[in-house]
This record gives sequence, structure tokens and C-alpha cells, in this order.
Amino acid sequence: MNMNVEIDHRATKATAPELNAGPVVSIVNIGKTYARGNLVALSDVSFDVGRGEFIVILGPSGAGKSTLLRCINRLAEPTKGRIYLNGKEITDRRRELRDARRQIGMVFQQFNLVTRLSVLLNVLSGRLSYRPTWRSFFYSFTREDRAIALECLEMVGLGHKVFQRADTLSGGEQQRVAIARALAQRPNVILADEPVASLDPKIARQVLKYLKEISQRLGISVICNLHQVDFAREYAERIVGLCQGQKIFDGPPSELTDDILNKIYGMRAEADGD
Amino acid sequence: MSRVTDYAAVQPAPTLADRAKFLAFLLIAAAFLGWSANALELSPGELIHSMPVIGRYLARMFPPDWSALQGLWDPTVDTICIALWGTVIASIIGLPLGILAAKNMNSPAVVRLTSLTILNVLRSISELIWAIFFVAAVGLGPFPGALALGVNFGGILGRLYAEAIENVDQKPLEALRATGANHLQTIMFAVLPQVLPQIVSYNLYWFEVGVRSATVLGMIGAGGIGFELVTTIRLYDFRQTSAILIVILLLVTVIDRVSAILRRAIVK
Repeated sequence: MNMNVEIDHRATKATAPELNAGPVVSIVNIGKTYARGNLVALSDVSFDVGRGEFIVILGPSGAGKSTLLRCINRLAEPTKGRIYLNGKEITDRRRELRDARRQIGMVFQQFNLVTRLSVLLNVLSGRLSYRPTWRSFFYSFTREDRAIALECLEMVGLGHKVFQRADTLSGGEQQRVAIARALAQRPNVILADEPVASLDPKIARQVLKYLKEISQRLGISVICNLHQVDFAREYAERIVGLCQGQKIFDGPPSELTDDILNKIYGMRAEADGD
Repeated sequence: MSRVTDYAAVQPAPTLADRAKFLAFLLIAAAFLGWSANALELSPGELIHSMPVIGRYLARMFPPDWSALQGLWDPTVDTICIALWGTVIASIIGLPLGILAAKNMNSPAVVRLTSLTILNVLRSISELIWAIFFVAAVGLGPFPGALALGVNFGGILGRLYAEAIENVDQKPLEALRATGANHLQTIMFAVLPQVLPQIVSYNLYWFEVGVRSATVLGMIGAGGIGFELVTTIRLYDFRQTSAILIVILLLVTVIDRVSAILRRAIVK
């Protein structure tokens, strides 16, 4: 326990960034405590995300990875700390939050598509925040939106499945549709919450490859939660190790020693033993 | 921690107190039924006694007088239209209220409770009472019938819609919220597509009920085939009454079948 406190201090150097210079996302001393049962899900996590960076948040389940991602776009409300997007703080004020969320794509473990709708409509729903509400009463989109949606589907290799219902696709294909939906937002950053946990390894690699390509080719930063060490080593440019809500590692995969891995995963075994 | 499968081991044998409670419940139920039978002046003897009278009335209904079918086409169509428009009005009333009343739509508590109350009021006042009110307000004819059905069924459908919405998969909603879509956009793109099959199915079912109901509404002057039926009864022309009853039977059967087929086709 005392070990990570020491490493944590190094992380708190992250301060409010200057406008438009520096990191895309800046996470400063984020903490979340659930009122019921005084459960601490996250405590004092800080780090910056550079443009086009592919960061893997690594940790066992229950480490607070999901809470961390959800605090970034405020699907969960942090009880402590601040998040900056391009130097602007993300608050819970409705209009501002909408603007922020538009720039943050999100991909989920269960894909979270509207399965009864076509692939195209699912991807187009990534464009909703750009358009007035009345249009959605008629399921109407602009020519530009449609072009963007098709382009995003091409990018994930699903240009030929545009009009199929989402529930006719395989798991891997559904996740690629979800990635296309996130891309259609034209985001600065994509949050991927265990995007491959429901997929078999071969398909998982394919999905991670798409995410990696997105970060490299489009300069979109990707923050990806994973619990599999080998995937993290293979795809991450940088790994943030999380255990029991605390950041206990932050560095390139080459510095992720067995010793550190033991700390990330071992501590849980200790805690479970209690 | 293994899963418990031996239910006998989990469920304790009923205690003496449990048995006593059950016996007390039975006694109270029996007493209540006895008291209410008395209040009704329920009398099997009377029923047996009046069998011949019932028989005489039934005999006077045969054979059906098919001349009653003359001019019956328009009222029949009216009846179907009352049910159709009643259901349409009901969805227009029920959908917004149902959305506002659904727990998972995060409406402010005041709004949710108000919607629930409105739905309750609409639902608990029967369509017959509504029809009397609307006949007084807008005059005789099919229009007040459609309004009456629409208002009452609106209360029922709204409640059913709300329940359907409450059972929706929340994950796509969260995904759309994460894209920055607003509340109404989320409803249009993540909630409605999920509940649409159920909405269509409920509407078809309540259209069926509406056809049956509309025949009754006719009797109090809200147009349709029921008005013709009640006229023949008032004229003691029971052979015409039976002919009209057979038409109603056919109508309801056909509508039931068609709507059952449609529902099966849609709910996939």
C-alpha cells in the first residue's frame, strides 16, 4: 500500500493545462466514493492523455477502470477532482456536457447498439448531437451525416452491411459498428471500456487493431480498459496500471515488469484473502 | 458457495401460526362472499323459476330476421371506425404520458406523478361513463364514441407503454447519452425502436377490445351497430336482434383473427 502512495505523488504533477496546448484529456486527482457502504472506487488518479496516444488502463476487474472512464464523460459523477478536455474543464452543466460528450466517443463491452435498427442508423446516431432535435422525430439526417456514417463504416470494413439490422451481425462486427458510431462523432478521444471482453481472442485482436489504427491514422486518442496483460503489452503505447482504485503504474509496456504486474494483480489476491 | 437446489431444505415447514393464519383467511373470505351474496339478493331459486321466461325470450329470437341487415353496413363500418380512431387517440394520449410516467426515463418526480395520476383517472373511469359525458358535450353519433374510447384506452395504453419502457435495455440509452444526444433524441433512437413491437401489439389488441366496446357504446347513443341493436330490442323485434347479434359475433371474430395474425407477424 505505501509503495503506490509514493508513485502517486509523481502523478499529481498533472496540473490544469493551458488552452489547446498540451494534452487532449487531463485527469486531475479524480476520486469516486459510493455513498452506500463507503466504497472507494477511485482515489486520486491523475494522468494526461496526449493527442493520438493509445493508452491502456490495465487492472483486475473491480479495480475502478470502468468508473475512471465513466467519470471522464460523466456517465458517472466523480466525487473529487477535475477532468479537462482540450484545456476546458468538463462540468455537469447540460449544454457544456453535451458539447464535451460530442468530442468523446465511447465503446462498450456489450457493444450497446440498438439491435432492432439498421447498422446505418446506429452509426448515424453518433451524429445526433450535431443536429436539432426536430430532425430525430423524423429519423432524418443531412447528406453530410450520411456521408460521414458511410465513411466511418468503410473504415471498420463494414461498408457492405449498411442496411442490415444490427442484431444480424456477429459480436465482432457489432463492436466495429459501435466503433463506427463513435467515429461518426468526429471525436478527439475514444473511451473503450473492456471492448474485447465479450469476444474470442482472434476477433478481439481484430477489434483492437482497428482501435489502434484509429489512434495512429486519425490522431484520435484512445483510452482503452483491458484486463488481459498480453493484449495490453501488444497494443498499448502507454499503460496505466490500476488497482483498488489507485494508479500504481504509468509508463510504456517495456517498463511493465513482472514485479509491477504482481502489484497490479497480486494486491487483489491479498484483498480477496481478507 | 454452492447454489441451493434442495428447496425442501430451505423452505421451513409451516408453523402452527401459519396454519391458523391461513384458516382465518379462509373464514374471512367465506364470510365476505356470504355477505355480498346477501347484498345481491342472489337467489338460485329465482333463477330456476325464471328459466321458462328466459326460454320464451330466446324462442322469440328465432329464426333470425335477416331483413335487419338492410342498412346495417354503415353502422358496422362506423363501429370499426370508432374502434380505430379510439385506438389512435389512445396512443396519442398514452405515448407521451407513458414516457413521462416510466421510472427509468428520469422525469422530475412531480411530472412523473402527475402523468401517473392522469393515466389512473383516464383508466379508472369506464369508457361508458366517458361516452355519456362526450355525448352530452358533442352530441349523438360516432365521434363521442371514438373520444370516449380514446380517453379511456389512452389511460390503459399509457400504463402499458410505461411498463414496456421500464423493461427496455438501458445499455443503448447510455451509449446514446455518451454521444451527446439529448433526452428526446435518446428516446427516439434508443427507446422507441426497442418498444415499437410491443406498442404495435398492444394497439392491435386494444383495437380488438375497442370493436367489442364500441358495440356497447352504440347503445347509449354513441353511434355504430350497438345503436341498431338496442333499437330492435326497444321495438321487441327479437328476431332482428338475433340477426344483428350474429353480425356482431362475426365481426368480432374476424377482427380478432386478423389482429392475432398481424400481431404474430410483427412481434419478432
